[in-house]
Amino acid sequence: MLSVRSLTKRYGATAVVDGVDFEVAEGEIVGFLGPNGAGKSTTLKMITGFLAPTAGAVRVNGIDALKHPRKARRSFGYMPEGVPLHPELRVHEYLRFRAELKGVPSRKIGDAIERSLDQASVTDAENRIIRQLSKGYRQRVGLADALLSDPPLLILDEPSSGLDPNQIRYVRELIRDFSGKKTVFLSTHILPEVEATCDRVVIINKGKKVGEGDPRSLRSERKQAFFVRFVGIGTTAAFREALQSASYRETGLGKELELEADGDRVRGRLQVPDEDAIDALFRAIAGAGLTLRELGGEARSLESLFTELTTEEAPPDPVEDEEEDDEELDDVETSEEDDS
Amino acid sequence: MRAGWAICKRELRSFFVSPVAYALLVAWLLCCGGNYGFVANIYSSQPATGGSDNPLTMFFGGTLLFFLPLLVFIPIMTMRLLAQERAEGTLEALLTSPVSERAVVLGKYGAALIFWAALWAPTLIYVWITSRFGDVDLGVVAASYVGVLAVGGFYLAIGVLMSALAPNQVVAATMTFLLLVLLFGIGIFQFMAFDLTRDVFSYVSIWTHMQDFAKGVVDTRALVFDATAAALMIFLAIRTLEWRRLTS
Repeated sequence: MLSVRSLTKRYGATAVVDGVDFEVAEGEIVGFLGPNGAGKSTTLKMITGFLAPTAGAVRVNGIDALKHPRKARRSFGYMPEGVPLHPELRVHEYLRFRAELKGVPSRKIGDAIERSLDQASVTDAENRIIRQLSKGYRQRVGLADALLSDPPLLILDEPSSGLDPNQIRYVRELIRDFSGKKTVFLSTHILPEVEATCDRVVIINKGKKVGEGDPRSLRSERKQAFFVRFVGIGTTAAFREALQSASYRETGLGKELELEADGDRVRGRLQVPDEDAIDALFRAIAGAGLTLRELGGEARSLESLFTELTTEEAPPDPVEDEEEDDEELDDVETSEEDDS
Repeated sequence: MRAGWAICKRELRSFFVSPVAYALLVAWLLCCGGNYGFVANIYSSQPATGGSDNPLTMFFGGTLLFFLPLLVFIPIMTMRLLAQERAEGTLEALLTSPVSERAVVLGKYGAALIFWAALWAPTLIYVWITSRFGDVDLGVVAASYVGVLAVGGFYLAIGVLMSALAPNQVVAATMTFLLLVLLFGIGIFQFMAFDLTRDVFSYVSIWTHMQDFAKGVVDTRALVFDATAAALMIFLAIRTLEWRRLTS
């Protein structure tokens, strides 16, 4: 349905999007995941023809989108980031305008508006002025707009950004409902969003594709073995004995162990299956009467990317935290909510 | 062209649901009424010194009161057309629909022309009033309105181009205003220059154009000039939009 080949956008010497490749099959819901500034929006703008790529090819529904942009645009509905709408119009006026733009035949426009309002669950706002709508409603009007011509492909840029948790859940359910009926390509910087809505994920960072797969396999990849480095005081022999006497099956220690003496210190590196093994490593060294000076995991590119992605959904708000500390009653209530 | 018509309708709808349109209309009618009142006053008190044979001839292009509002109102009418879409991000939704840049620009230009005609429509009352106190040659009046549309078509096209180039409405309005003042200023140069230069200035001067039209002289050279100049501006505006895809 959507095929992107070595898509590149350069501004002078800097490549904002650098040779990105991926495919989206018919009926799939694919997430385009990356931290802010990774080049997601630029990629979507190139796919939809708002920006011309420096190099690469885009095929939408089998049509070369660079050679026949208008024909290709008939095959998708696009919701740009921030959902720009004409605030002075009523919802149905805006959708009628958009339907005319998209070449929906005049006698079918009424039905198309009704259907897309229904699909985006925004029928009750039909006669309201867009300026007076909440962010969640505007987002759904944008979705209704994308659905107007009943296109096989939906391209959504950050469909849940700026919404409150209830609205986010709602939009995710709406997207989930398209499964099997429409092909959806959506961008997001929130990992849980991908896990909640997508069959597959394409990960981009600093303009380059860094991963692709189904969200579950990526999650298990996150638990995959990684390397730990440490510095202790003692002899290499003592460390070797302490770490290898422990059974790998029980503690996960002892694999790929490398030790190197450095004066009275020992520098070591070993593979562990998961983060729990770090505790075991600490206990094994302390149990053998050895001293540990430094301990740290070795960062992997995908791992660090995920850290960046997963920590962004609920950024800590220092002001709010302080308020909670001041008001004890509120604090209690919050923690109760957390428990339930 | 259906998309262009949709854009034109949307533009007019957005304009007429905003108070700006009515404020503009009122201000415009105050200016026109002032102009007509001024002209009518001259003719009623000193019919011989009017300079033209008919107050309507003087109303259409005989006084500075006709041209000055033009220079102010046209930038205000055109500044929002494309610059606002760009500033508010709606340009992205517009240009990722299956429409061409040509349809976008022509639709917006069409909306500006329709609003321009709407500004002038109430002045038909002046024709009626004048006809009650003297003879009015409807052919001359028609020629005057042809002139108004030709000159307006040219100036509005400049505004559309500036709105396509400018990053926001204020810049678009300012640039349009400066260009219009410059073009209008060229018309004044004809009174200072000689021979060939003088002819060139008078050909491109809307002052001369309007004075001819107001006398009932439909000079095809003036029409061709206004039409080609407008077409060039619109062509450049379309190119500007296409060029934006490559550079932004």
